[in-house]
Amino acid sequence: MKILQENAGQLTNFEVLDFLKSRGAAKDPTKVLAPIAPSEFKVYDYLVQSVAKSQTRESIAKFVAECKPYKLTKSEIANIINIRPSSVVEIDPLIENLDSRLGESVEDLVQLVVEVFPPSPDEKKAEGTPELDESKGEDTADGSKAGDIPDESNFDDE
Amino acid sequence: MFNLTKLEHTLRLKPHLLSLSLEEAVKGELESLFVDKVIANLGLCISVYDIESIDGGFIFANEGAPTYTVKFRLIIFRPYVGEIVSAKLKESNRNGLRLTLGFFDDIYIPELLMPEPSHCKPDEDHKNQVIWTWLFNDEEYFIDGHDEIRFRVQNVKFPEIPKEQIGTKPFAPMEITGSLVSDGGLGPVSWWV
Repeated sequence: MKILQENAGQLTNFEVLDFLKSRGAAKDPTKVLAPIAPSEFKVYDYLVQSVAKSQTRESIAKFVAECKPYKLTKSEIANIINIRPSSVVEIDPLIENLDSRLGESVEDLVQLVVEVFPPSPDEKKAEGTPELDESKGEDTADGSKAGDIPDESNFDDE
Repeated sequence: MFNLTKLEHTLRLKPHLLSLSLEEAVKGELESLFVDKVIANLGLCISVYDIESIDGGFIFANEGAPTYTVKFRLIIFRPYVGEIVSAKLKESNRNGLRLTLGFFDDIYIPELLMPEPSHCKPDEDHKNQVIWTWLFNDEEYFIDGHDEIRFRVQNVKFPEIPKEQIGTKPFAPMEITGSLVSDGGLGPVSWWV
C-alpha cells in the first residue's frame, strides 16, 4: 500500500454526511439493506445529530463566499461550519488570535454564521428545556418564552 | 475532522468474485481491507470515496487470481491539532474524562487539561465514576454527560502495536488527547448556551 497524497482535500461534516446519504444511509431504518458497513452507519448516526444535518451545499458555499473579508484560514472555516457557533464565546476557541485579527467584527461574523446556518426546528425545540429557556434571539417560533427571562439574553445576538 | 487521502494498493481478486463487475469487486475488496481500520500516522478510515484507476489484471504464474494496482481515495477521520470537536461523555474517572463520537471511542481528557480550577467528587449513581466540577466565579458547573462536550484536540497519537497484551484494556491504535482549557466556549455545550 502506498500513500500518494496524504491530504487530498479537507471535508466538512456536511460533505461526509452527504456522501453517506448518497449511498443510501438515510433511507434504511433497518441498517441492513443499504450497501453501507455498520461502522459507516455509526459515522452517519453521529453526523445526523450534529449541525450538519440542517446544512445544504448552497448554504455552505454562501458562507465561504461571505466570510472572505474576515480572512479566516481554511481549517477555521471548516471548523466553524462543523460547530456552528451562535455566540461570541462559542467562536472564541475556534479562531486563533481572535482579538488581534478580528476585534469588533467578531460579532458580525457570529451574526453571519447564525444567518446562513439557521438551526432546524427540532434543534430549537430541544433547546426549550423546562428550567432554562434560551431562545437564541432569532425569530421565536416558540412565542411566549423568548425574552421573558432576562439572564439568558447575555448570549443572544440582539 | 475528515479529509481525503489518495492511496495506491496492489490487490488480488479471488476468482469467486468474477461474477461481479470489476469496479464492484475492487471496491468490495478495498472496503474489507481499509474501512474501520486505523492506518498508522494517517487516521481512521471511514469509507472508500472513489476509485481513480484500476490497472493491471495480470495473472502471475502459479496463481489463480488476477492482480490489480488500484488508485483510490479514502475518507479518513483525523482531527488536526487545535480543532474543536463535539463529543459525548463515555466515562469519567479520577484520571480525567473519556469521550466518544460513536464511531471512535479513544478520546481522553486528562486531569491536567481540565478547566482550572476543577475538582471531582464520587458519583453516587455509578460506582467507579466521578463527577467533575468546574469552579468559576463562585459557581459550580458540572460535567454530567447530558449534552455534548466541546474540546480542543491537543494531540493525536498512534502508539505501536504491542507484542504482548498489556493488562485488560484493548489496544487502541489511535488515541486523541483533548483539552478543555480555554477562555470560554469549551466543555459541555450547556455551560455556554
